[in-house]
Amino acid sequence: MKENNNRLGWLFTSPYLLYSIVFFFIPLIWSFYLSFTNWDLIAPDFQFVGFDNFAKALQSPSVHAAFWVTYKFMLVFVPLVSVMALIVSVLVHSLPKYKSLFLVGFFLPYLSSGVVSALIVKGFLSYNSPLNMSLRKIGIRIDWLGTSWSALFIVGLIMAWKFTGYYALILTASLESIDHEVYEAAAIDGVNSKQRFWRITLPLLYPGFYTTLILAFGVTFGIFTEVYQLTGGGPNFATNTWQMEIFSQAFKNLQAGYASAVALLASIATFVSIYIIRKLLEKWGARNGWV
Amino acid sequence: MLAACGSKKDNAATTVDGVTTIEFWAASNPTQQAYWQEMATAYEKTNAKVKINVSVIKESPSSEATIQAAIAGGSAPTLSENINRGFAAQLSASKALVPLDTLTGFSDIITTRKMTSTIEPWKFADGHQYVLPIYSNAMLFGWRLDLLKELGYDAPPQTYIEILELNTKLKAKYPDKFIWAKADLADPTAWKRWFDFFMIYDAASNGNKFIEGDKFVGDDKAGIATLQFIDDLRKNKGILAENVADPFETGTSLFIDLGPWTFKNWVEKFPDMKYNENYTLSMPPVPDGVDPKTSKTFADTKGLVIYASATKEQQAAALEFIKWVYSDPNNDAKWFEQTNLPPARDDLSTNESFKAILDKSPELKPYAENVPNAVPPMDNAKFNDLQTILGQEAWTKVVRGELDPETAWANMKTAIEGALK
Repeated sequence: MKENNNRLGWLFTSPYLLYSIVFFFIPLIWSFYLSFTNWDLIAPDFQFVGFDNFAKALQSPSVHAAFWVTYKFMLVFVPLVSVMALIVSVLVHSLPKYKSLFLVGFFLPYLSSGVVSALIVKGFLSYNSPLNMSLRKIGIRIDWLGTSWSALFIVGLIMAWKFTGYYALILTASLESIDHEVYEAAAIDGVNSKQRFWRITLPLLYPGFYTTLILAFGVTFGIFTEVYQLTGGGPNFATNTWQMEIFSQAFKNLQAGYASAVALLASIATFVSIYIIRKLLEKWGARNGWV
Repeated sequence: MLAACGSKKDNAATTVDGVTTIEFWAASNPTQQAYWQEMATAYEKTNAKVKINVSVIKESPSSEATIQAAIAGGSAPTLSENINRGFAAQLSASKALVPLDTLTGFSDIITTRKMTSTIEPWKFADGHQYVLPIYSNAMLFGWRLDLLKELGYDAPPQTYIEILELNTKLKAKYPDKFIWAKADLADPTAWKRWFDFFMIYDAASNGNKFIEGDKFVGDDKAGIATLQFIDDLRKNKGILAENVADPFETGTSLFIDLGPWTFKNWVEKFPDMKYNENYTLSMPPVPDGVDPKTSKTFADTKGLVIYASATKEQQAAALEFIKWVYSDPNNDAKWFEQTNLPPARDDLSTNESFKAILDKSPELKPYAENVPNAVPPMDNAKFNDLQTILGQEAWTKVVRGELDPETAWANMKTAIEGALK
C-alpha cells in the first residue's frame, strides 16, 4: 500500500520534476560550466578561464551598481506595494458584494505587458506631455527618467502598480479566512475599529502578509522589462538591475561566459538576501506574537 | 539555456529532389519584408531548383539577440539582411559568417551592381568581406526652416559658432525651444552614438576611423571639439536630453538627426512636414575654421550576410539569389522607392534608374549625393562595449554637465584603450 502511494506520488509530481530538470537544473549546470569559459555560444573555439569571469565581475562598476540598485528598488517597491495591496484587500474585503469582480480589476495590471505600460508611462512623462507642461507653468521642472532618484522611483511605482492586485488577491484570501467570531467577541469587549485592525486583523493576516513580502522582495531581483524600456539601466547605472546587466553582457556584448558568472553572482546575492529577509520577518512576527 | 534548448537543424534535408531550400531573414520593417518576398517569389519563378522562405527577424529583445540565439540553437537562417558592420564583426570573430569573397561569383555582384568604391571601406581587418551592403544612409541633420526664417536665416548655419549664435536668438524668442531635443543624447546605449557623436565627430575629423583593427586611432582635437560644441550648447540651454514626443515635428527642437526612413512615417503621421517648406536638410556642422563643404557624416548602412552553418548548397544558392537580385538596377530602384533607403551603389546619383525616384522625392537627393561622404561604423567585435564606454565616459557626462570635454575625452580614451587590450 505504502509502495503504491509512493509510486502514485512520483507519478503526480513527475511532470513538474521533468519541467524543473529541463528548465532549471540543466540550464543551471550549463550556466555554471559556461561561467568558467570565455565562450560566446557561437564560436567553435573557446577557452577555460578559471575564475577570471568572476574576478572581472566583482570589479565591474556596472555589477556593483546592479547589486545596490536591487536594494534601492526594495526600499521603493516593497513598502509601496505592501501598503497598496493591504489597502486594496481591506477595501475589497469590506465590500458587500462583487468582491471577485473588483479583485479581477486590480489583478489586470499584473497580466498586462510590461512593454506597453512602460511605453505609456514614457509618453506620460515626456517633456511636452500635459503633465510636464502644467508643472513647468508653476515653475517645477523634473527630468523624470533622466534623474537617478526619480527614474528609480518611477520604475518602482510601475512595478508596485503591476503587483498590487496580485498581492491583494493573496491578502484578501487571508482576510476571508479570519474567523468572524473573533471580531464578534472583540465587538462585545468594546474594541473600536482602529484597535480591531491593528490588534486583530493585522496579526491574523501576518502569514499571508509574510508571503506577499517574500514575493515582493524576490521581485526586485528580477526586474527587467520596465527598466529596459524606460531607462535602459541609466542614468549612470541608477536603474541597472541584475537582469539588465546579464542581458547586456550576454546579448549586447556577446559574452555568454561572463554573463553566466554575473548570473551566478546574482543568484547568490538573491539567495542570501532572501534568506536573511525571511529570517528577519520570522523574528519580527515571533516577537510580536503573530506567528 | 539557449544552446541547451536549441535543436540542431537537419541541414542535409534542405536539398530534397534537387530543390534547395534557403531561409531568408528580413528586417522587421514591412516595406523591406515585402520587397524581399517579392524578390524571392520572382526568383523562384526563374529557378525551380531553389525555394526561398522569407521571414522577419524578431526584434524581441533585439534582432541581434534573436540571431545570436538562433545560431547558438542551431536554427540560423541561410542568409539575412539588416546586419551592421559592428555586429558582423562580432559574428565573424565567432566564425559564424561565410567570408563572401571566398564564394564563387561574389566579385560579379560587386562589378554588376557598380559598388566597388562603396564596398571598399567594408573590408574587415582580416582582408575579407563578410557583408554585402544593401543600403547606405549618409545621416543628415534636419532643420526647421520655418523657425530658421522667423529668426532671420534663409539656410541652416554650418559651423559651431554660427549654431551657438542661432541658439542665442532662439532662446531670446522661445525660451522653451531647443536646438536639439532628444532623450538619447543622455543614454549610454552603444548604437545611440551613431546618431549624435559619430555624425558630428566624422565631420570634425574628416572621417577619422576612431578604431582601426584593435587600435584606438581617434583624433584628439576633433573629439574634444565635438564634445566642446555639445558642452557649449548645454551651457547655453540649447540641448534638452529628456524624453520628448516628436520634438522636431512639433517644433520643440530646431534640428535633429534624420534618416530617410523618417519620411515614409511622416506621410502618415505628420503630413504637414514638407521639404524646403518647413524643413530642410544639411550635412553635420563643422568646427570654426573648417570648410563646411568638406563635411563628412556617419553612414547608417546595413547589409546581407550568409551564415557559416548553412550547407554548401544553401550558401551557393543564396549567392546565386543575391546575384540575380543585383543583376538588374531596377531591383535596386524598386528597393529605393519602397523603403527610401539609398542602395549602396557608386552610381546612385548618376544612374538613370534612380533619377525618377530622386526627382519625385527631392528630400532623398542629399542622402544620395552624400553616400561617398559617409563613414561606416567600426568593424571591431567589441563595438558594443567600446561605444558604451564612449557614451558612459565622455558623451553623456558632457551632455549632463558632469565633466569638461578634455577630461571626458581623456577618460574615454584610457578606458577604450584598456578594453581593446
